Amino acid sequence: MKGRLAAVVPWLALGLAAPALAAPGEDPVAWLQKAALSARETTYAGTVMHVTGDRTVASRVTHLFTGGAEHEKIESLDGPRREIVRHNDDMQCFYPDAKTVRMDRRVSARFFPSLLNGSPQALAEHYKLSLGSVDRVLGKDCRWIHLDPRDTLRFAQRLCAELATGLLLRAQTLGARQQVVEQFTFTDLRLGTQVSRSELKSTFYAQSKDWRHDSQPLDEAKSVATGWVVGSPPPGFRLVGEMQRRMPNKPQPVSQLVFSDGIASMSVFVEPLNNPRRVAEAVNEEGALSVFVRPLGEHLVTVLGEVPGAAVQQAGRSVAKQQQVASGGK
Amino acid sequence: MTQELSSLMDGELDGPEAERAIRGCCGDEELKRKWQAYHLIGDAMRGEGPCRRASTDRIMAAIRQEPTVLAPRRPLAGVAGRVAFAAAASVATVAVVGWIGMQDRASPAGPSIAQPAPAETLPASARNEEIVLASDYVVVHRQMPNADFYRPVSASAVGGR
Repeated sequence: MKGRLAAVVPWLALGLAAPALAAPGEDPVAWLQKAALSARETTYAGTVMHVTGDRTVASRVTHLFTGGAEHEKIESLDGPRREIVRHNDDMQCFYPDAKTVRMDRRVSARFFPSLLNGSPQALAEHYKLSLGSVDRVLGKDCRWIHLDPRDTLRFAQRLCAELATGLLLRAQTLGARQQVVEQFTFTDLRLGTQVSRSELKSTFYAQSKDWRHDSQPLDEAKSVATGWVVGSPPPGFRLVGEMQRRMPNKPQPVSQLVFSDGIASMSVFVEPLNNPRRVAEAVNEEGALSVFVRPLGEHLVTVLGEVPGAAVQQAGRSVAKQQQVASGGK
Repeated sequence: MTQELSSLMDGELDGPEAERAIRGCCGDEELKRKWQAYHLIGDAMRGEGPCRRASTDRIMAAIRQEPTVLAPRRPLAGVAGRVAFAAAASVATVAVVGWIGMQDRASPAGPSIAQPAPAETLPASARNEEIVLASDYVVVHRQMPNADFYRPVSASAVGGR
């Protein structure tokens, strides 16, 4: 007992919550752990620029960790006003122009700096992990973490983690020629006690009481068996969500299967085609986003995600109807 | 100009000449149609997959946005068709346009499951084509719908509270 306490005390003395926040030294896995933990369990607020191709979108993120739960508000600063208030994976999305609050559950959405899910050790199976130089971003020192794919089914990632907290200040996705195809970066940042709890409340909280509240997306996000399987998704991509979504202009629900390798994700959609017909496969990559369209009997398969074209193709080609044991069985 | 287009297609132009031809092609309706027709003819002659370039008019109508990226791209190996992307004005969406070639009435309806579509060699006149908008899927994947996307869904499924 005494020995355990002695082991814990130095961490307390440093003001750190847990050994996982230990100085990661030269271990990239430890840096990734620290980055993931910091994005989830620390308090910060700042402006995030998201650049894809020639488009830049600014948003403001406010993140608190209290009572063992994440509380986050994301406000769009460009384009139509909207806000997302997130409690762990539950999201309330405020649409002032439609006077609607939409409830949803985070499945495939990516919110910088919380880009990592699953265990960093698992990432090492499919990415070569290494540490790069110490850089200066936003007047703060950060260490680059390199994730270089071991195959052609995912993009390289460059993450710059602030030295003291491990929080990601910048994240880049690199294309096949090592060009930046997508980037998230903070352009201002406040940490810890500089952020007050009152900042978390939605700007629209009071007025939204009279708005429509739509919980259908949340209901849809509950995992259901869609009857479809992806036989051979790219290695390391595991199923993180399976649901049926209602979509505008589509009379029937669309099956969605979400896969993630811990940092990159893709969605596999299957929708009924009303008129059976032969269609041609189609694929394209644009920036970090790839899409693959493929006919499957009387259905259409669409796979898209922040992965190379080869990955959406591999997933899309292995979609099949789940084998039924026997109707009424089980 | 027609000759220039033809040369452009064959990769015989470079630098300023190519630029002039491209600009001419994209600025003139008649030349745009010719450019398309040449490609359809070329595809048919090579027996390649259908509808590598869909009707520009229909794409434009479908996405109601000025596409910024419709330049021919290197097709990935083993894929007959292509999907084009265009940037949409909306914050959360990237419009994705796929087009699909249909072999209408030339084959029995109801192809068997998982049977890949065979390369089509029908003449251009016998082809019909349909544009599939995949932009909504981008919105669903990112879980950040815009109001346009959102309204039709909510209209059918709103429980006030």
